[in-house]
Amino acid sequence: MSERGSIEVRNLNKTFARLDSGGTLCAIEDLSLTVEPGEFVSIVGTSGCGKSTLLRVIAGLEMPTRGEVLCGGVPVTGTNPDRGLVFQEHTLFPWLTVRRNIIFALKSSKRLGANRAAVDTLIGKAGLSEFAGSYPHQLSGGMRQRASLIRSLAVSPDVLLLDEPLGALDSFTRMTLQDEIIRLWQERGNTMVLITHDVDEAVYLSQRIVVMSPRPGRVTEVVDVPMSYPRNRGSSDFTELRVKLLTALNFASEVEQEYNL
Amino acid sequence: MATTATTTTETDAAAEKTILDSLETRASELSIWELRQIEAKPKTAAGKAVDWLLRLLPLIVSLLIIAQYKFAPNFKEFKPLDKSKPTNLWVWFIGFFAAILLARVFISLFSLLENVRFRGDKNNSRWNRAILFSKRTSQKLRRNAPIYTAVFILLFAYDWATLKTGRLPQPYFPWPDAILNAMISDRVILWKSVWHSLILLFIGYSSGGLAGLVTGIAAGWSEKARYWVWPVVKVLGPIPSTTWLPIILIVASSLFGGSVFLIALGVWYPVTMTTMTGVLNIPKSNFEAARTFGATKAALIFKVAIPASSPFIFQGLTQGMSIACTALLVAEMMGVEAGLGWYINWQRGWAEFAKMYAAVIIICLTFFLVNALFSFIKKRVLRWKEGGVV
Repeated sequence: MSERGSIEVRNLNKTFARLDSGGTLCAIEDLSLTVEPGEFVSIVGTSGCGKSTLLRVIAGLEMPTRGEVLCGGVPVTGTNPDRGLVFQEHTLFPWLTVRRNIIFALKSSKRLGANRAAVDTLIGKAGLSEFAGSYPHQLSGGMRQRASLIRSLAVSPDVLLLDEPLGALDSFTRMTLQDEIIRLWQERGNTMVLITHDVDEAVYLSQRIVVMSPRPGRVTEVVDVPMSYPRNRGSSDFTELRVKLLTALNFASEVEQEYNL
Repeated sequence: MATTATTTTETDAAAEKTILDSLETRASELSIWELRQIEAKPKTAAGKAVDWLLRLLPLIVSLLIIAQYKFAPNFKEFKPLDKSKPTNLWVWFIGFFAAILLARVFISLFSLLENVRFRGDKNNSRWNRAILFSKRTSQKLRRNAPIYTAVFILLFAYDWATLKTGRLPQPYFPWPDAILNAMISDRVILWKSVWHSLILLFIGYSSGGLAGLVTGIAAGWSEKARYWVWPVVKVLGPIPSTTWLPIILIVASSLFGGSVFLIALGVWYPVTMTTMTGVLNIPKSNFEAARTFGATKAALIFKVAIPASSPFIFQGLTQGMSIACTALLVAEMMGVEAGLGWYINWQRGWAEFAKMYAAVIIICLTFFLVNALFSFIKKRVLRWKEGGVV
């Protein structure tokens, strides 16, 4: 387990100080998880189950209280351009144009030299050629998230961590972007870890789904998705997996009514 | 300029359309100006007549100014201190603006020919472009005419109240021609004064702004720095920097250096405050995103913190500019022996009121230009802001 792009979470504990009550809050308890290089893994769970915290620890934005995280066999001690992170709200810098945002990422990671020519190609692939010189506030929500995504991919990370990247978008834009994420992943072959509260999204995108339970956050179930891409949202296998996941999340009895969860 | 017609509505949309059609403009290629033309409401004949009257009004008033100055009798006790006679400078001055207005009226009138085709050619693009230019000029003139008229009426009234009737106590209110002549005759020393004031302003403002930027970012960035900066800002901030003038006059080895310090202090406070607030208000996600790309600490400060807080920084710089201008004039009137503030005081001592007014006008112009330059820079730097910059 020392290949580039592998992730190994070993007995991770993460506790936060609670400033309101003066106590502490255990967000993640004794969590272990292994992701193979090039794998697409989704983590689903209700809000407050610590899934975002897990992702932030993997990214190096938070330090584990106990336990450790290894990426490519190396312990995570801080952020690294090898592990990209896409947030729910776009984090494009509003004072930079789309192109400049991407160049910022490349400069910061010291990977500009070889990739300068690729910037416009990448923008073109995301269908943003016309908006390369636009500022983020001039783009639609979907375009912003798309730009955010390609900015993170521009530095060619081994691992791309996606923290509900499509959560704030309308369902049509979301479906379009889901296809794009699959395309980009298949092109590049990097490891993907997606956090979502959308069971459909998890089934549509990932090869393996990790179900987490809240307070304290821990893994309750790991479900394999043995379907080939592109997937059919209406197939019986798809529906079956959905029900299985919803059962794991204790929402099974409400499946019929809450189809559009 | 495409934005000049943003507020005008006095266009005959139907007639405009024929021009636009002949330019073969497709809807997807419309410029902002052309779009406004199509969206504008059609005007009635009476409305158009009023518009043309308004376009002519500033020209008419400017001619009235000249007529009054040349032909109306001066007031009885008219005894200029230096025995100077009213010159023609005022006529030339107003005449210059009248000529510009006349030219603009003529260019505007050209737009009335829009339905006449050059040599029967409907699609002569040069002709059509000339018509469009004329229409733009016409709209701009219509938009600016009321304020021009108001200014000319004020000048007319001032000339009437001073030179023509002496209603305003003489010699404290010199007539405009005398002020213009004072500017010309004292131009060398006035120019030197402007230069000296500008240098003092620039050095004081930039050093204060820079210091404010440094302390503001430090205080916003690190809690330790905030621990020390915050009390200083809290205690010294509300005191107008000019309070220190008497101390500076005694202590400072050079008055120039003392004044620089005074101006800088006045700028330092608001810039520190707003920069600190700005840095503290930057969404954490901005820094986190930058960190995931491996940004260094220097990059986080210079490439993220400073641009992200630039709207706040400019707010402080704007406040600082007006404080700096005040501090500059106070310093010059109280101690520094050069510059426009000193010049005003000096001429007041000699009861040279025309020269005093000349300096006041030049101060207005100078500060106006400095502020115009400042807003230009501000607009450029903050062009990424949603909703633009006010």
